[in-house]
Amino acid sequence: MSESLASGGAGRRIASLSIRVVVTLTLSLGVVIPIPAQTPPRDLTQFSLEDLMNVQVISVSKKEQKLAKTGAAIFVISQEDIRRSGATTIPDLLRMVPGVDVARLDHSNWAVSIRGFSNVYSNKVLVLIDGRSVYHPLFSGVIWYAQDVPLEDIERIEVIRGPGGTVWGANAMNGVINIITKSARDTPGGLIAAGGGTDAQAEGLVQYGGKAGTRGAYRVYGQFSHQGNSDPADAAQPADARRLAQVGFRSDWDLSPHDLLTVQGEYRRVKAGETITGILPQTPAAIGTFADPLRNDGGNILARWTHTFLNGSDVSLQAYFDNSYTSGNGAQDRTNTGNIELAQHSHWGSRNDLVWGLSYRAVAQRFTGNPFVTVNPLQRTDSLYSAFVQDEITLTRTLTLTLGAKFEHNAYTGYENEPGAQLVWAPSSHHTFWASAAKAIRQPSITDQGVHAVETVIALPQGLPGLVTFNGNPHTQAEQLRDFEIGYRAQINRRLSIDVTGFLSFYKDLLTIEPQIPFFEPGPGPAHVVIPFIFEYQAHARDYGVEAFATWNATDRWKISPGFTMLDMSVTRDAASQDSTIELLPGYSPRRSFQVRSFINLGHHFEWDQTLGYTGPLASGNIPGYVRLDTRLGRRLGEFAEFSIVGQNLLAPRHAEFPDFQLIDHMLDQRSVFGKITWRF
Amino acid sequence: MARLLSLFLMLGAPFRLGAEAPAFDEYQVKAAFLYNFAKFVEWPPGTFANATDPIGICIVGQNPFGPALENMVQGKKVGDRTFAVRRFPDTLQASQCQILFIGASEWKRTGALLDAVKSAGVLTVGEFEDFTLLGGIINFRLDGTRVRIQVNLQTAAHARLRISSKLLSLAEIVKKQP
Repeated sequence: MSESLASGGAGRRIASLSIRVVVTLTLSLGVVIPIPAQTPPRDLTQFSLEDLMNVQVISVSKKEQKLAKTGAAIFVISQEDIRRSGATTIPDLLRMVPGVDVARLDHSNWAVSIRGFSNVYSNKVLVLIDGRSVYHPLFSGVIWYAQDVPLEDIERIEVIRGPGGTVWGANAMNGVINIITKSARDTPGGLIAAGGGTDAQAEGLVQYGGKAGTRGAYRVYGQFSHQGNSDPADAAQPADARRLAQVGFRSDWDLSPHDLLTVQGEYRRVKAGETITGILPQTPAAIGTFADPLRNDGGNILARWTHTFLNGSDVSLQAYFDNSYTSGNGAQDRTNTGNIELAQHSHWGSRNDLVWGLSYRAVAQRFTGNPFVTVNPLQRTDSLYSAFVQDEITLTRTLTLTLGAKFEHNAYTGYENEPGAQLVWAPSSHHTFWASAAKAIRQPSITDQGVHAVETVIALPQGLPGLVTFNGNPHTQAEQLRDFEIGYRAQINRRLSIDVTGFLSFYKDLLTIEPQIPFFEPGPGPAHVVIPFIFEYQAHARDYGVEAFATWNATDRWKISPGFTMLDMSVTRDAASQDSTIELLPGYSPRRSFQVRSFINLGHHFEWDQTLGYTGPLASGNIPGYVRLDTRLGRRLGEFAEFSIVGQNLLAPRHAEFPDFQLIDHMLDQRSVFGKITWRF
Repeated sequence: MARLLSLFLMLGAPFRLGAEAPAFDEYQVKAAFLYNFAKFVEWPPGTFANATDPIGICIVGQNPFGPALENMVQGKKVGDRTFAVRRFPDTLQASQCQILFIGASEWKRTGALLDAVKSAGVLTVGEFEDFTLLGGIINFRLDGTRVRIQVNLQTAAHARLRISSKLLSLAEIVKKQP
């Protein structure tokens, strides 16, 4: 979990508070924890000040020490990982995390999932940017094409696999992706980055930061990113070009020695697209393939204040407002979200580290349908109240028990609770064993409850057209998870660390699509038969899996990080269900994947990095397994500039990563080369 | 797949990867700096009760040094003074400290801790970027794999400490904020 999570800070959900300090400490998670007994025996007190300044140190931040003792499956992507990955988008970055499945459907659509249930509208992972939830309430998923943060400004990305509902609440069901940007204090000066490559890519970033008076710091930036359509040779009518323009700012203030204030915001305009094979937008209803332009415009503003008491306890208050407009296939959605949360952290005696928090969220949605898709009601405003409490109890010097629960009230299913427990045993500073049990839910969305969609038209034997419709269920239920995990982390020696997690997850009340009785309708349009389906919650699943990764500093210049993921999903419909398609669900997630990342410092300011990854086949949709090889050659040019060239998918000219999904036609991922130059001043 | 993997490994192999330079634990080095500070800092008159009164090095909150600091200064002397390493939960007992180390784990309350000792003639030492801005005197900054020292002269003067030019010549001088 996050630094603040692990340390029991009040900023548990407001984790980015810790940035301004942690950035000065943090090297990548892979840095080896020194073992005192093996450190050189020379007496440092004989060293002069000059000598001390030239001594090489091996450091491990507090955060890493805390992470090593966290009772959850966590992976941290550091700024160094980001810089050396050659990735240009956030989903691309997430490919490096074991247990996270990233598949690109086209240049605009991604299926990003944790521990199965892979889906373009993946709704079991919570994604936060600086404590602001970016899942879209229309379908409780993330619109990935609309999410961008200047990658240079990311302090770290914490990925927690497994339920995080105890602290993070509904939708943190299979995991949490927590993107944390740097404090404005850490980004002084100017930054210009520009890149371009094959596969019709171009991107640019202009940023400037500085001090605001004596107590504050700020940065402002503007960025754009463009990627053209996929190769027409791969698919009919590719229309997946994505164009993003975004401006933003962040400011951090020391109001007093006790008070920190952060204010940040951004505004973006995004045009994207996809190719749909479905009902043509004109009536009479017929099936065809056509381009579907997508759009997302939006902005947000966030403020966070933390007050720290002399005794080490603290309280923080965060509020944000988020506005977004989304359109696609002739339908439009406008969503305004207001969120406020309070968290307090204190020590109780010498054994209890207690955190509690309250939050309130209001979501106002307005939907404009097209002839085939509408929701009922078109306009609604919902409230979400929640409270959580978590206590970290030091049982003995080596044993820690954390108990917590979140209580929420949402507009769809009323009261929900999400308790969890973690036991951590750290017999020495180099070995940590942990076990956890938790309950989590997915809160339904407006789509679950009120959608009415004409999904497709089929020809019936009687000569009449049949309209297949999907309908929301007024009596929605929350999908439920009960999850059990064990893990082991070890610092084997100065150069090698490993992390292994095993999990066993039981889901119930999973969403199914159940047929209802067909009926004849004389109009509108030609006479037809309606074949309705309704959402029910009549499936359950049993998943288990293993995720493992290691960091091996083979030499001082060469680091190797292998990772491995195994997932076994078994989804079964309840006796009452007729939805046999639910059993195809496991086939959308690879059962095995592994990757090896290699980072080499060649000398003369050259870096050479590679990622070789294998992703297993997807049985549903007939996607063969594939191997990706990405490589990056980077060179620092003096103190202020850096040049890099990145080759992606080098082993094959193209491959598919995900099948056609619902109506969206999939495109192929191309072999590509991308060059980038970064200049700081 | 196996062929690919061996290819991948071979790609890295032709490069002769550098010999390993000896490296020390970050906190051993920082402990050695603390020891050195005692030699290069002059405390205001009246700080010590007598000529052999030990130099108090205090750690507030969590101790990142493990036993390294105690081991390092054990039996060492600066002039006639030995060292006494002490640990405190806060700065209320700061009168027993000549050097006060505030670790990064205490960052949230650093401002408040510093506020309490700013005129007490204590050499405050920290290890995160804003430490000197918050009123700390010496800060350890990590520059890649090397430890650098930042000194805030105004806060040092306010605490009536004299820092030798030898130490200052090696340090980065930072401006105080009001």
